[in-house]
Amino acid sequence: MARIEVKSEITGTVWQVTAKPGDKVQSGDTLVVIESMKMEIPVITEDGGTLQEILVKEKEPVAEGQVVAILEG
Amino acid sequence: MSWRAEIEELRRRRQLAEACGGPDAVARHHAAGKLTVRERIDRVLDPGSFREVGKLAGRGAYDKAGNLVKFEPAPYVMGLGKIDGRPVAIGGEDYTIRAGTGFGSDRRKGGQGGFVEDLAYEYRIPLINLIDGTGGTVNTAKRKGYTVVPGYGQDGFERSVDLMGIVPVVSAVMGTTAGGPSARAILAHWSIMVAGAGQIFAAGPPVVERAFGQKLTKEELGGARIAVDTAGTIDNVAEDEEDCFRHIRRFLSYMPTNVWELPPQVACDDPVDRCEDALADLVPRSNRQAYNMKKLVEMVVDNGSAFEIQPTFGRAVITALARMNGKAVGIIANNPMFGGIMDCKAARKQGHFVELCDMFNLPLIFFADVPGLMVGAESEADAILREGVRARYMGLQVCVPVFSVIVRKCYGVAGGSVIDRRGLNFKIAWPSAEWGSLPVEGGVKAAYRREIENAPDPPQREKEIEEELRQLASPFRTAEAFAVEDLIDPRETRPYLCRFIDALQPRLKTQLGPKYKAGVRP
Repeated sequence: MARIEVKSEITGTVWQVTAKPGDKVQSGDTLVVIESMKMEIPVITEDGGTLQEILVKEKEPVAEGQVVAILEG
Repeated sequence: MSWRAEIEELRRRRQLAEACGGPDAVARHHAAGKLTVRERIDRVLDPGSFREVGKLAGRGAYDKAGNLVKFEPAPYVMGLGKIDGRPVAIGGEDYTIRAGTGFGSDRRKGGQGGFVEDLAYEYRIPLINLIDGTGGTVNTAKRKGYTVVPGYGQDGFERSVDLMGIVPVVSAVMGTTAGGPSARAILAHWSIMVAGAGQIFAAGPPVVERAFGQKLTKEELGGARIAVDTAGTIDNVAEDEEDCFRHIRRFLSYMPTNVWELPPQVACDDPVDRCEDALADLVPRSNRQAYNMKKLVEMVVDNGSAFEIQPTFGRAVITALARMNGKAVGIIANNPMFGGIMDCKAARKQGHFVELCDMFNLPLIFFADVPGLMVGAESEADAILREGVRARYMGLQVCVPVFSVIVRKCYGVAGGSVIDRRGLNFKIAWPSAEWGSLPVEGGVKAAYRREIENAPDPPQREKEIEEELRQLASPFRTAEAFAVEDLIDPRETRPYLCRFIDALQPRLKTQLGPKYKAGVRP
């Protein structure tokens, strides 16, 4: 089982957390939505697996490249 | 009498040249995961198409009787080849011979001017630079007995600059590259770097450490993460050398041989009238929500034809070469996954790509969803206005036909840079389109400040004004006024564009040749 880091590709604020630890996720699923420049920008996982951890909370700032979730895939 | 002895000597010397820097140097090069320049050239080109020039150049040592006893080939290999049956000039440093530094020949073979660049220039054929050299060495002074002014001798960057206006030039950074070769890498229409093996910088880690006391690895200073993703110094990254060669061949497949010819057309088995149903629902109704613009582009262009340029730099805009019914086009699409906003990097990327397509007569298709220029103190400090206006200036200088498909937002100065006001001014809107000087939400407070402040319930009045303006913003009203040329079902985008791109081909033939652009860019 590999540990997979899912990163935000953009700087912004966490708008919504749409998945929770234990969820089985597939490639293309949205885990977190970042609000940036008045846009809701999804953080999408490219890999499938089980969500281990969400590292951000709603309204928290997020930087480009920051890890927002950990999967086990 | 016969010349067989000399012919045999010629064969022997060619063999010596093919040995590159000798078995040990070649083994070390291979062990580092790199191919020799000769292997590289053979793999980029159509099999068996390389006609080398200057193979005998190098340094010979002779005994008293005048027999050659030792030979070091010139550390640069070049000549004529073919890619997809079309001629190209190609050359590269031989890193196995003194790390590809110069050898003091009568005339340069290439790498910075030289025969290979003259070949591309005189024959009007594309140039491929396989760069794996570290530039000048202080030893030159010892060899010459004096120091030289940069750009000395008969070969400088003059020819490299000439080439930029007439034939496609490709640079591949295949090793650690500094100084002159790194500058040469930039003088290209498109460049690529091999991940891990390629680094590029003005000066390497020892110089940086001496200047600032900063200890950095080559990769940290000029690897793909910096040079490609962060700085956009180099356009694309290849996984390995084979991937690099595939990329080079692919890039050139969209390019004409020179500015006097049109790009090659390919047979298209993707139906021109293909209407992807998913396009009808791809754009979310909420203009705050992002969607996959790359998928949108792929659904419109010929199947599998999109080749992204600078995919990891300035990602708020997507730039791609593609084909419509087999004809090469340039795609510029704002990327809502990055806000679609024009920041400094996106502006630079767009400007360069527009210029590339214009130079080689590729019509441009914009897929617009741009809320404006990036705002904020950081963006202003980066000169967003200058960069944004420069992108618009470059857009207004193009001669190729431009299609603006307004997918969603098209606002302000940045919105103006996705529109062609010099040509047909052909704006094709989707029902999700919205436009203006600035979005209603941001503009009402500023434009109606007094009216809102004097109202009995200011927030309510602000909302009412917003609603009134929103109704006027329907794209149907703009289409009624013929202020956009068409409002289309998104699924019709491919057939619509293909029809016009087919029809404009004769016009492209009327504008062939070098394009001289007057004026000073802002």
